[in-house]
Amino acid sequence: MPTVIVDGQEIEIGADERLNCIEAARRAGVEIPHYCWHPGLSVVASCRMCLIQAGSRNPETGEVAMIPKLVPGCQTPVKDGTVIVTNSEAVKESRARVEEALLIDHPIDCPICDKAGECLLQDYHFEHGQSERRADIQPFHSRRRDVGPTVTLFVDRCIMCTRCVRFTREVSGTAELMVSARGAKEEIDTFPGFPLDNKLAGNVVDLCPVGALGDKDFLYQQRVWFLKKSENVCGGCSAGCSLVTEHNQDTVYRLNPRENPHVNKWWICDEGRYGWHHLHDESRLVTPGRRAADGFDDVEWADLITRLRDDLKAAGRLAVAVSPQLTVEEAWMLCALARSIDPEAFLALGYVPTTGDDESFPGGFTIRAEKAPNRRGVEAVLGMFGTAETDGKVPGWTDLLAQVQAGKVQAAWITAGHPTPETSWCDEETAAQFDSLDCLVVQDLFDSPLAARATWRLPAAGFAERSGTWVNCGQHAQCFEQAIRPPAGVWPEGRLYWNMLGRQGLYDPHGVRQQIAEGSATLAALAGNLPATGVDLRLQQLAAT
Amino acid sequence: MTNTESFEPVLLEVVGIENGGTLEQYRSRGGYAPLEKLLAEKQPADVVEMVKSSGLRGRGGAGFMTGVKWTFLPKDHPGPVYFCVNADESEPGTFNNRILMEDDPHQILEGTIISAFATRASTAYIYLRYEYPQSWNSLQAAIDEAYAAGYLGQNIRGSGFSLDIYLHRGAAAYICGEETGLIESLEGKRAWPRIKPPFPAIEGAFHKPTVVNNIETMACVAQIARRGVEWFRSIGIPADPNNPRDPGSYGPKLYCLSGHVEKPGCYEAPLGITARELIDRFGGGVWKGRRAKAVIPGGISMGVMTEDELDTPLDFAGPGRVGCLGLGTAAVVVVDETVSIVDFLHNSCRFFAHESCGQCTPCREGTSWSLRMLERIRAGKGRLKDLDLLAEIGSTMGMMPGSTICGLADGAAWPIKNCIAKFRDEFEEYIKQTNPTGYMETDPVPALPIVTAH
Amino acid sequence: MIANRKVLTDNMVARIEALAPRYPTKQALTLPALHIVHDELRHVPLDAVVEIAQLLDLAPAQVQDTLTFYQFFYQDKPHGKVRAFVCRSISCALRGGEQVLDHLCEKAGIKPGETTADGSLTVEPAECLGACDFAPCMLAGDDLHKDLTPEKADAFLEAVRGRTS
Repeated sequence: MPTVIVDGQEIEIGADERLNCIEAARRAGVEIPHYCWHPGLSVVASCRMCLIQAGSRNPETGEVAMIPKLVPGCQTPVKDGTVIVTNSEAVKESRARVEEALLIDHPIDCPICDKAGECLLQDYHFEHGQSERRADIQPFHSRRRDVGPTVTLFVDRCIMCTRCVRFTREVSGTAELMVSARGAKEEIDTFPGFPLDNKLAGNVVDLCPVGALGDKDFLYQQRVWFLKKSENVCGGCSAGCSLVTEHNQDTVYRLNPRENPHVNKWWICDEGRYGWHHLHDESRLVTPGRRAADGFDDVEWADLITRLRDDLKAAGRLAVAVSPQLTVEEAWMLCALARSIDPEAFLALGYVPTTGDDESFPGGFTIRAEKAPNRRGVEAVLGMFGTAETDGKVPGWTDLLAQVQAGKVQAAWITAGHPTPETSWCDEETAAQFDSLDCLVVQDLFDSPLAARATWRLPAAGFAERSGTWVNCGQHAQCFEQAIRPPAGVWPEGRLYWNMLGRQGLYDPHGVRQQIAEGSATLAALAGNLPATGVDLRLQQLAAT
Repeated sequence: MTNTESFEPVLLEVVGIENGGTLEQYRSRGGYAPLEKLLAEKQPADVVEMVKSSGLRGRGGAGFMTGVKWTFLPKDHPGPVYFCVNADESEPGTFNNRILMEDDPHQILEGTIISAFATRASTAYIYLRYEYPQSWNSLQAAIDEAYAAGYLGQNIRGSGFSLDIYLHRGAAAYICGEETGLIESLEGKRAWPRIKPPFPAIEGAFHKPTVVNNIETMACVAQIARRGVEWFRSIGIPADPNNPRDPGSYGPKLYCLSGHVEKPGCYEAPLGITARELIDRFGGGVWKGRRAKAVIPGGISMGVMTEDELDTPLDFAGPGRVGCLGLGTAAVVVVDETVSIVDFLHNSCRFFAHESCGQCTPCREGTSWSLRMLERIRAGKGRLKDLDLLAEIGSTMGMMPGSTICGLADGAAWPIKNCIAKFRDEFEEYIKQTNPTGYMETDPVPALPIVTAH
Repeated sequence: MIANRKVLTDNMVARIEALAPRYPTKQALTLPALHIVHDELRHVPLDAVVEIAQLLDLAPAQVQDTLTFYQFFYQDKPHGKVRAFVCRSISCALRGGEQVLDHLCEKAGIKPGETTADGSLTVEPAECLGACDFAPCMLAGDDLHKDLTPEKADAFLEAVRGRTS
């Protein structure tokens, strides 16, 4: 295995790995500061912050020969015997000078800058910079420039790393951002009439190492040091991008992509990035209700457990729509619960919203047309319950509607949870088909023509309010933990099903997941602890065959 | 070493000849016959070997061995290979490429065609700076003549070798003279030089192997083909036999002489003539009977020599021995004793701040910072501490310490470095005189707006 | 090819397209295209940038990026019918170039970098024009003015005014 020596420490890297000095040094726990390098973008080595000393150790003699001048760590590949020195005086002085240079004409308006607390200019100044200013004192200027509907630019904070420009050219392929002018007068800008307006636009704010690019959605909303971070997965489409929910006091303030080499790499689309507002929408259903003469009577969650079960048992044949928004664990418990009420309950995959076609971008990122995170997971769970298949597929929404139409079921439990407060996923015409049922349970985030007809109208949980596992369109399963509590004491589906199944104690998604893994060849890979970036189900499936 | 007194111009052989720039006239001097001979009798590898053994070093400023540079091209690349002739000549004080292009375009074309043959290039672009309209006309006329005579185009003179030459016009940016800046500009982008590796020979223009050579280098290639390797090596200063790393300084060189001399002009001499001899014998001496204070040896990027350093031979190794960056473009600029070194350095800093491409931090900010300090010093608000800061900028920005992507920063740094080191007393005197109350200040002072740069 | 062209004439488009076989990419036509438009209109308006971008299958920002880098192309309004570059690099500065620049500008009634009110003349400081053998010098159109003096500058100004009156 190739060995790299970082500040005297030896580390091994994979024989087939292609790493630069920054990546190799990280393996040794050494962070080489850098602005312009990013693993998802081309290497330009222009910020010069990552300058280090590099050389090689002769495998036979052990003699070390260092390159006489500093080299950028981002553009220098490592191989067996590479020597990296990051803690010499030369390197320290170089970093201090780069920091100084970047601050000469910088407004240093941290008190009014969103990036404070997560700003590399601040961090590196603290760690590597000089304590006193030597350059002339410039008059204060901090201009703001609109670059698009979702992104704003504080021009004078920019350090010309060009990550944002490279992103729009290489990853989104839309090339809206440019550098204008030359030398110290350079600025980031857009062409008039062609704003930064692509579906991946928000990523440039993540990329910006300083407070130059700002997200209008988040601007001035919260100081970042108040935010707690939870690892979640986006529920916007079947891509299942890993993300970080940043929240404080059960309020979400923003979502950021989480690096996942198997799924989204470093990116997330804007729909996913801003797809959290519905969690705090005031029109969310928050109280369970039982149909009464006019409207709904509120019911306590604890009372719900027995009353709902009794109603369903009395109703006759049951059909269940298992929403692709539910986790694998929730889906499994719902199916088990349904079968415990009616051993012949008709289990089907719930409504799957689809919009347009899959959209791929030059950098490899794809937004999926299927706007639900867990169809694969639900289908795999349905397979465990011996559901009748047509053409190799488990029953879906249209099959369930056919059952209702044909009068074969008298009760239905419809789960949805799609994040669409404005237009419901179920129109009046479809909803009317359920009028014939004795007992209709609708568990959803927002009111709808269907919920209006429900016998039991139950609030649902949003993506950041549940723990569990989703399986994306590529058979990649990811676990995530609950980030915030749902509003007004809403019980997430997992908790409700757990209690209705009669299980004791707090809802334990891990335990349920183990149980599922033991009972399914498709989902066998869910056993044990999963890595933060998830697991490919196919690996275990292949092993099983 | 050749006697400079008896040296007859070769690169400038056309001077004095009426209509010397036509194809007919060029042929009557012996031109194009060498090309035909090489195409008929030699292989590309032979021509590479010829240029290598001549010891020709690039005339654009870097002085890299031309033949060696050509060997970096991948051997079995399917092509296309692109050949770029760097006619962006923008180094202050330099104008020899202009004269070659205006007066003897066919010499350049023949050299280019031979070089393209050697490097298996199928397309050559002459990247010509915007400010040379006469050169454009002259080159285009020559290219048209060459096509008509069958020296360009398909199957040149039945050899099977085909070449197109196109003129590509620049837009007044000095950094387009840097080889990868030129390539980026050719590709239609902003001329931000590329990081290396990969070097252009491996991945250059349009992701293909590319060679970039200077105009004067092309003229040398034509003359080497005509007069031979031995002839070329008989001129100049041979390699030091005790130093295996010294490639020597062979061949004739066009020296541009300007500034405070009686006779500014472009003069051809064997590599190695001293600055003093150039000024006195060719330039008619320092003008107005004055003494030289400082002399630029090879374009402003190289820094300055003092009057007592003027016996330095102007070959590739000489200027470095007196603390200058190198021979550069061999453009000698004389500054007489009446000029304030502060004004001189300000002119240099203004140039580099204007031309810095802005890509990498040390150059973008360093050139701007040094200009601001010079402006403030000239405005009578200088501090002695500024000299220390300038000296630090001068010694830390550049490719040589590794802090920048390209050599513009070194060119910006060297005049600062040399001026502060060699004329510190004058700077201190100036600062103390013009800012008697504030020259001792060490804390930062308010910035002045930059007045003279646009 | 381009929908609703407002600025680029058929002739300009034809000349740009005629250069296409010289380069393996369309983007390489950017600088030649900018010159073709700028030579004729004395500026490259924003609409022209959009049209050039459409012609070359680029985003307008990419063309604009290149355009603004050179600090050479005018955009908001045309430069003067005569565009004079007066060199102020070291060799010309040593022989009075800055003084000639100031003199010419003062006589023309503008500051360096500006255009006269009647649009006849732009005077700009330039960096080394490569004519140091004739310092101080000035490039106006295709004409190189050598060994410039205030008197010669005055004569030049007269000629410009004569041409435009």
